[in-house]
Amino acid sequence: MNAAAAASVAPLARLQLGWLAALILCAQLPLWPHLPPWVVAVGSGLVAARLLMPADRGIPAKIRLWLLPVLALAVALGLRANYGYFLARDPCVAFLYALLGIKFIETRSPRDATLLACLALFLLLTRFFYGQAIGSAALSLPAVLVLGGTLAALRDPASAARGWYAPLVATARMLFQGVPLAALLFVLFPRLAGPLWGAPAEAGARTGLSDSMEPGSISSLSLSDAVAFRVDFVGRPPPSAQRYWRGPVLSRFDGVQWSAPLRLPGIHAPERGPAIEYTVTMEPNNRPWLFALEHAAGLPRPPLDDVTAPIAAQRTLAILTDDDQLFAATPVTQTIRYTQRSVLSDRFRSSSPRDARINLQLPRGNPRSVAFARDLRERAGSDRAFIVAVLDWFRREPFVYTLAPPLLQGDRVDDFLFDTRRGFCEHYAGAFVFLLRAARIPARVVTGYQGGEINPDGGYLIVRDSDAHAWTEALLDGVWWRLDPTAAVAPSRIERGLGAALPQGEPVPYLARMDMTFLKALRLRWDAVNYQWQRSVVGFNLQRQREVLRDLGLESARPWQLVVLVGALAFAWGVALLGVSRAGRVRADPACALWLRLCRRLARAGLPRRPSEGPLAYAARAAERWPRWAATLERIGDTYAALRYGPADGTARERIAALREDLAALPSARRMRGV
Amino acid sequence: MSVATTHRSLLARWRQRLWRLEARDRGAVVLRHQRIYILPTRRGLSLIATLTIMLLTTMNYSLSLGYALTFLVSGVVAAALLQTYRNLAGIVATPLAAGEAFAGGSLPFTLSLAAGTSERQSILLAPGSGAPVRIDLPLGATRPLQLSVDASVRGTLALGRVTVSTDFPLGLWRGWAYLHFPLTGIVYPAPEAPSPPLPPGPDGFDAQRSARVTEADLAGLRDYRAGDSLNRIAWRAVARGAGWYTKQFEGGAGGGVVELDWSTLPPALDPEARLARLCAWVLACEREARVFSLSLPGVNIASGSGAGHRRQALVALALHSDAGIVYAGEVAP
Repeated sequence: MNAAAAASVAPLARLQLGWLAALILCAQLPLWPHLPPWVVAVGSGLVAARLLMPADRGIPAKIRLWLLPVLALAVALGLRANYGYFLARDPCVAFLYALLGIKFIETRSPRDATLLACLALFLLLTRFFYGQAIGSAALSLPAVLVLGGTLAALRDPASAARGWYAPLVATARMLFQGVPLAALLFVLFPRLAGPLWGAPAEAGARTGLSDSMEPGSISSLSLSDAVAFRVDFVGRPPPSAQRYWRGPVLSRFDGVQWSAPLRLPGIHAPERGPAIEYTVTMEPNNRPWLFALEHAAGLPRPPLDDVTAPIAAQRTLAILTDDDQLFAATPVTQTIRYTQRSVLSDRFRSSSPRDARINLQLPRGNPRSVAFARDLRERAGSDRAFIVAVLDWFRREPFVYTLAPPLLQGDRVDDFLFDTRRGFCEHYAGAFVFLLRAARIPARVVTGYQGGEINPDGGYLIVRDSDAHAWTEALLDGVWWRLDPTAAVAPSRIERGLGAALPQGEPVPYLARMDMTFLKALRLRWDAVNYQWQRSVVGFNLQRQREVLRDLGLESARPWQLVVLVGALAFAWGVALLGVSRAGRVRADPACALWLRLCRRLARAGLPRRPSEGPLAYAARAAERWPRWAATLERIGDTYAALRYGPADGTARERIAALREDLAALPSARRMRGV
Repeated sequence: MSVATTHRSLLARWRQRLWRLEARDRGAVVLRHQRIYILPTRRGLSLIATLTIMLLTTMNYSLSLGYALTFLVSGVVAAALLQTYRNLAGIVATPLAAGEAFAGGSLPFTLSLAAGTSERQSILLAPGSGAPVRIDLPLGATRPLQLSVDASVRGTLALGRVTVSTDFPLGLWRGWAYLHFPLTGIVYPAPEAPSPPLPPGPDGFDAQRSARVTEADLAGLRDYRAGDSLNRIAWRAVARGAGWYTKQFEGGAGGGVVELDWSTLPPALDPEARLARLCAWVLACEREARVFSLSLPGVNIASGSGAGHRRQALVALALHSDAGIVYAGEVAP
């Protein structure tokens, strides 16, 4: 007790500090890309600084008293300035990150070490706020091993005598042993449909499609290879030119920016025609948008609705707005899957009386464009002829499709249409809608994704951020028609993707390039692995859990039954693990086991063996006590002594059998006691 | 009546089974699951609390990998529990011997620990009072080890309940088992220091004469008897292979028989002080190789010398009681 108490106040050895530093760095490392650089520098720099100080002291006590609170406060204020707020997820993660370093420089006692190990473990979890790809899972594993090593070193610094890797190997073994239990809990632990507290959504922008567009301000969106969503089609996927994934509809224009009007629920009038069905697995984008091919023939629903029918009935995934956009009830903060039906069509009947009114609104300015449109409209004679003429004009004039257009100034539409004539989809869509409205034709910009890439490895479609697109719709005789001016300028963009549309020498997102190199094939294969990972591990939610339970025949099990099941399986796991470790070991000597049985029986009968007594003496004493079985008792003593101490003469087996027989011939302890 | 007795005995049986308060472990004890307790250490509790917070966070943010990480670390913690159990289960502990000590010192008890069928690491044995001992056992090894129990009062001293514990491998769990062997050692009175000189012998011989024994006083050899002082063994004869003999000196040792008598001590001394002085004198006699006799109320030890004699005297002092009743039954020679 004394030594244990002394050990708990003894300062940490250098080796223990080293392990602790390794653990903290392992927990901090995966967060580096997601935190402000100065937080990374402070949090990890302090860890390195502590290692340069004497192991048993850390910084002097006088400085420690004021330095640590001051440091913590400074970091907190810095984060407040950096993020603009403090009590939210990201600043708190950053603060925890820095706090590990701040605490580590004053760490001396094992108690501090325990606290740090626990904080580091928690920090490891926060990495998953920022993404749950295979890579981030793989980055966490070494930290778990180092956690085991740290705990082993904290328990006993002398354990390093077996080599620094020994605790890692031991922990790896325990990790391996724990996997069945972890898998069991992972599958059966109840998943929640919503958060326990607060909204997990984080304020702040993510890359992806946005709610507005400003032609003339350079977009970096198109250059991102990040996956927006993946799609499994029932049957063959439609051709690229028909894959318009409808997103936010932008009706308002203030001369610079296109933005969405107030969204109203629409009266859903499904299109007639053959519908196709597909399942979308969407990456979280923190936006309340779901995407459907134009045009949706119904509302999205959870896949395999026969299993999750009760949920599907309770939970509406999304509504359809009056401009035909799928709008989710909550922002998409975790990977979700939904099944959607669409009728492939480039038109749909307007259901909203306000469409014609709000889609004619034009700001002042851009006189050249207005004059051009009115003039062309008069010459064309009809709305349809006018549209054809404008598209023809785009095709004829030297417009260039490029991802690096010059910035636009002044009357932006005029500047683009008549001066620069270089731009990408946003420019063309915006300018085209402007011309149509100038000619008194209701029109609007539709954003979303166009195309996507079929992954030959998985037979599914990948839609990336770089597939984001903007096109237009015009209202003619109560029907919205899809018109894509980009297709007029660069038809290959629509038919074959971004890489094909861009001129030689332009920077193209890597995966949007046309050449099917080995590297690209590898990337596609990796994406297929990732997709599986997303579907089966990251996407393992309430829905998937119900599917698995149904497959196991447990869908009607009550919670307590599941708890009992988990308990029983965990118990079986423990017994199996203890059994496995025993198997293959030397079995107890059978002669010894028999002898011990005799000793136990005689002890119960009132004649325990004295510690000093050998088999012969004990047997003799027992024979004296129970003359009736004297011969048997003495024979047992002799046989055991011969087996144990005599020369090995090959008769061991017979002797053991004889021993067993003699033992069986003896009466029970109770009867012997009575004699 | 009989029901009540049964109940009490059942209760007592359970109490003994749970806490091992009585010394009933005769002979070798194999640590099995009935004896082994496991609870988390403070560090283990901290980690479990952290895992709970992680689980709540994970549930709130629906982080699948959060579940995976939390459960994976929980798996490690559970596997560590099994390893802690396995580190104890199957150890065989055997009581070997109880030693002797003077009051104020520490009394050594010897046990042996056998690893059995697996390797054991960081096994801690802690007696009720006294320093714990840590031991590692390779596969199949048997090691003797000494537990020192603080001996404060003269008399008999039982080893008491020994706690065998381990927090191997990660320090998250502490497994322990109680052993209660009926081992009893003997604690002699603390010798008075400094003590007055030895009392004079009956023939008026000056006991203070510092009579070092020299070879000139050698009277002859007799057969060696167990307990004879190593100083007096005739090593030359042993070296020749002639057998074991003990040297006998003229007149015992230089100064005649010393009579150590309780009743001749100054009446002002209280009984414990008398015992302490007598003890110091017995040791002085032994040191100076003098023949001495000892008389206590109720005990008379005839004159003699040698380790056996000395021990007999010391035991009598250790077990002396005012009532004059001496029990020497349980104490093994």
